[in-house]
Amino acid sequence: MKETKRTKALLSEYFIFVIFIALVVVLTCLKPSFIQPGNLVNILKQASINGILAFGMMFVIIAGGFDMSVGSTVAFTGVLAAMLGQGQYPLIVPLAVAMLAGLAVGVVNGVGVAVGDLPPFIMTLGTMTAVRGLALLISNGKPVIGISAAYKAVAASSLFGIPMLAVFLVVIIIICSFVLAKTVYGRRVYACGGNLLAARVSGINTTRIRISTFAIAGLLAGLSGFLMTSRVTIGQPNAAESYEMDAITACVVGGVSMSGGVGKPWGVVVGCLLITVIANGLDIMGVSSHWQKIVKGAIIVLAVLLDIKGKGKKN
Amino acid sequence: MNKKKFLAMLLTCAMALAVLAGCSNSDTTAPADNGGDDAGSEGGAYKIALIQQHQTNAFQIAVTEAAEAKAAELGVELKILSADQDAATQISQIEQCVSEGYQAILFEPVDPDGLRDAAKNAADAGVVVINIISACTDWEEAGISAVSYGNNVKAGETEMQQVADLLGGKGNIAILTGPSADAGGLQRMEGYENILANYPDIVQVVSPADCAWDTAQAQATVESWLSAYDLDAIVCENDGMAVGAGNAAGADSGIIISGVDGTPDGFEAIKDGRITGTVSQNGGAMAANGIEAAVTLLNGGTLETNVLVTDNTWIDASNVADYE
Repeated sequence: MKETKRTKALLSEYFIFVIFIALVVVLTCLKPSFIQPGNLVNILKQASINGILAFGMMFVIIAGGFDMSVGSTVAFTGVLAAMLGQGQYPLIVPLAVAMLAGLAVGVVNGVGVAVGDLPPFIMTLGTMTAVRGLALLISNGKPVIGISAAYKAVAASSLFGIPMLAVFLVVIIIICSFVLAKTVYGRRVYACGGNLLAARVSGINTTRIRISTFAIAGLLAGLSGFLMTSRVTIGQPNAAESYEMDAITACVVGGVSMSGGVGKPWGVVVGCLLITVIANGLDIMGVSSHWQKIVKGAIIVLAVLLDIKGKGKKN
Repeated sequence: MNKKKFLAMLLTCAMALAVLAGCSNSDTTAPADNGGDDAGSEGGAYKIALIQQHQTNAFQIAVTEAAEAKAAELGVELKILSADQDAATQISQIEQCVSEGYQAILFEPVDPDGLRDAAKNAADAGVVVINIISACTDWEEAGISAVSYGNNVKAGETEMQQVADLLGGKGNIAILTGPSADAGGLQRMEGYENILANYPDIVQVVSPADCAWDTAQAQATVESWLSAYDLDAIVCENDGMAVGAGNAAGADSGIIISGVDGTPDGFEAIKDGRITGTVSQNGGAMAANGIEAAVTLLNGGTLETNVLVTDNTWIDASNVADYE
């Protein structure tokens, strides 16, 4: 009796994972080439940039915020990295500049929200628009071409058969999971999102914590911008349109509560893989793009609905 | 109280800035005083407005640059605006230009039907209206004086014909399209279908994928396809997506990958063998011809034809150096 209760609790906790496995099995049955190693590598590559963004987004949402600007930040930092990555400087320069630029955007967001008391949606909507403008301004509206072979190789290479992009993602996952779960800082992020007032009166410097979560999202958006340019081999000012939505979707599907304070890193990993697998599976099956949008939307809503219902039974 | 005052000040500053920015926005005034006389335009420079669909890719920037050059050459005062892909914005911009007294308005309609009435109102107000790059529905009846465009159907036909020839009339192909409802994309698709009708042995093994002109999206889609399908050619409706397809396939993959536009990113990919070729759409020439036509009409002249078609050419590794 106790055993079954425990399994049930476990099952409801990890329900989204069960849905994910079910989806993989269904796709494999429908199209066996889905599960081939070559395609699994594709999925890893395709999940990486969104995954890194989703992890930044996770910090912001858990702390009770929201960030609309990461897509624009990816484009802006991607263009910056492309301009500096033509072979004139060692690769560390475009990487550092992209990440610092992303960090700067994040800090501006954080200060606006935590110090200026602006609603996160409004603040980051503003930076979303302005940073897209910056990307267009510095690139003069044109894609920046001519990045060096070494820079192209960053995303194209692999380590023991695992694409380099996925290696970046795994490193980010490990660092972020550790910070969230095992450090005082991580606990404080949850506390801010759970109940801001309670966190403040218990002596946590909530202003600093909230700014830092936006800063992390910006920093990771900068890293994504650097990787994105390497992957597509050009810096495009109009790239990464609506990437913030994909990152938010990955978080929400992975069980991060939009009202803050709740969410686990592994859930975000599964959420991110889930949306990548949907897109990849539908492409492989040759489903028309019009249908893809409908199916993607329906699966996202269904997955979260099933997850909520599964958890509901426990209580 | 203090906070309110500060806010009010901030808002005032922001508004003042917006006004300033609005005034200086792409207001490219050609050197009218020195070039105006020999260009032969009597009584000061003509005021011409150009409203682009957007200014966020290489093709559109080529349009901007060519228009500025042409305006300087002819000694006209040119204002360039961007509608940012929004039909409502473009309608207000046209109305604004009419009330500011512009004598000619050139624009690329964001939507062929949605912009028709705005164009008609401007024409009724006595402004010379010219469409560039694409045209409004029933443009002649809407009072639009001329159109200057490349033929998208023809561009699609040129591209697919080249691919068919390279394939020897037989093979598996896949198509990447622009946003599903985009007029230019649909016309290119029509061109593809016209050619494919002659080649029963060229098979589309997957339905065309909407990658919204985006390189990263095209790259992901093609990666997925290549793990499941044996493709001989990937035909893309623009260069950005062709570059993405080329990245997914790798350099000298043996897969024929083609695009449309002739933009620098496409040329770079042609040179290093990631894509096979592209059909150049000379946006700059379209804009320049449009401005020339406007000046002719404003001078009281007539046009030989009010449909100005800019030719398209197939560019591959053999001639890419001539186009950069």
